[in-house]
Amino acid sequence: MESITTEGLSRRFGRVNAVNSLTLEIPEGGVIGLVGPNGSGKSTLIRMLTGLIRPTGGSATVLGSTIDHPSRYAGAVGALIESPAFIPALSARRNLTSLALLRGLPLTRVDEVLDIVGLAGRDKEPVKSFSLGMKQRLGIAAALLPDPRLLILDEPTNGLDPAGIVEIRALLQHLGGQGRTVIVSSHLLAEIEAACDYIVVIRFGELMFAGHIEELMARTRAHIDITAEDASDHDQLSAHLEREGWSVQHIEGALRVSAEQSSGAALNRSAAGIGITLSGLTFAQDSLEDIFLAMTGTTDGELAADRAAAAMGAVA
Amino acid sequence: MMNVVRSELARLRRPKLLIGWFGLMALFALMINQVMFSMAGDPAAPKSGPGVSFPSAVELAGPSGPVAGLGAAASMFGIVTLSFWAIAVASDYSSGLIRLLVSAQPDRWKLLAGKVIALATITAIATFIAMVFTVLSALPAAAAAGLATDQWGTDAAPVLAAAWINAFAAMLVWGVIGLVLAVVTRSSAIAISIGAGYVLVVESIVRQSLGDGANWLLGSTLSALAAGGNQALAYGSAATMGAIYIAVGLLIATVVLTRRDVSD
Repeated sequence: MESITTEGLSRRFGRVNAVNSLTLEIPEGGVIGLVGPNGSGKSTLIRMLTGLIRPTGGSATVLGSTIDHPSRYAGAVGALIESPAFIPALSARRNLTSLALLRGLPLTRVDEVLDIVGLAGRDKEPVKSFSLGMKQRLGIAAALLPDPRLLILDEPTNGLDPAGIVEIRALLQHLGGQGRTVIVSSHLLAEIEAACDYIVVIRFGELMFAGHIEELMARTRAHIDITAEDASDHDQLSAHLEREGWSVQHIEGALRVSAEQSSGAALNRSAAGIGITLSGLTFAQDSLEDIFLAMTGTTDGELAADRAAAAMGAVA
Repeated sequence: MMNVVRSELARLRRPKLLIGWFGLMALFALMINQVMFSMAGDPAAPKSGPGVSFPSAVELAGPSGPVAGLGAAASMFGIVTLSFWAIAVASDYSSGLIRLLVSAQPDRWKLLAGKVIALATITAIATFIAMVFTVLSALPAAAAAGLATDQWGTDAAPVLAAAWINAFAAMLVWGVIGLVLAVVTRSSAIAISIGAGYVLVVESIVRQSLGDGANWLLGSTLSALAAGGNQALAYGSAATMGAIYIAVGLLIATVVLTRRDVSD
């Protein structure tokens, strides 16, 4: 069974398609990464799934119920949307108590979630005295209150120190291992790679990839970065290697050759054959970040330009 | 529904918020009585000011004299009530808490109804505090002004009950107006500015040009309601108008809250 399905789901803000005819199925259980560059539609998608905004087209289901009636699944969904939101003057306990009362939960659940996120000893302090990391933990505690089947967390490790990140990652994997579905929206790809079993990549509100992380990593390419002893030989070396059938790319201070690790010796011999001595030869594999950037673009500036061009095209 | 009310009350029990609300109601009660009684014997004194009307010495000496301040300064108490309702509602938007609330309780009308009931409960207490301070300060204020108080205490219980009910009804309308302004603008500062600006400036100006028609303006209507009716507007008319204000206000707030995206 799928935890979430969408069929041509769209949300338009003026001329901009924040989510554009998105069709996807997210399996139930495990930790799922939702990634995409800024403005890719992640938050809009989460807001539609949690009943905060309505789609302008298409349909979707959450835990088998249509998002037209979010009250049917709200009791089984916990969410941390964007940043943690609490009344600063109230204590952590009082904030959670008010949310537990809203959901009709026993107040013992407040103690349980405070314990889970490691805030049990700080529960009587006002939230305004909390660090960003502590607020983040409290936000996760609020999302855990209903003991949810589906947990949606937007940037859950924001503001946490390295030890806190490891702790929360372990918590997410523990929760995902219990049969819950934990959806983590993040731009920290290393976090996604470390914590998630399944990944959904969106750009301009459109699906770029949805599948197990191993499937995505299978798209990685190996390459060898080579450096000539004399950098002025790079052009000659590049031309020579391309004539021999290698795919070569100029990078800063080196040449990047698409090749497996076993090709290192052949490259070295080829360079030596035209009298060029290599001073460096480094094997590397594309990271998740490389794949992500290849799929989604590189910088916010480029993305903005692409989006503007897409919008102009839509108008035309 | 009761879950929402209990949740709202848990968040409203903020010491600074309640001390500020109750304290201002008490302070206005004390101040208005001092001013009202000191002006009662002065024939040159104005009959009203922005948001305040001044009862005559005869009215103050009557059985309702000790609670006359509640009706006379209804607009001032109303601005306080409007402000705290607006703060309580708008802080859900400014803190981003509205995201958590709506995702936990997607039936948004229930969120609104629960908030109204919780705020009305606090308003009932605030009105009671205002009445207590009005009554307590009336005796020394009357003595200082040399007013006779022999009729005070006649039918005390009905007088006090009617004063509280009428003032509470007027405060409820003011509160709902604060709620509507906060839901629409999502800002307590803008909501309070509009509310206070209307009572203190706009209605005073409009009153000059409308003559008797001004009796139907918001501030005048609610002052008449709080006073249990006055020479300008009968109690029944004021109560009907108050009920219409509440119904229209809640309708607007419900439509805006249920139909608008939660983007804060």
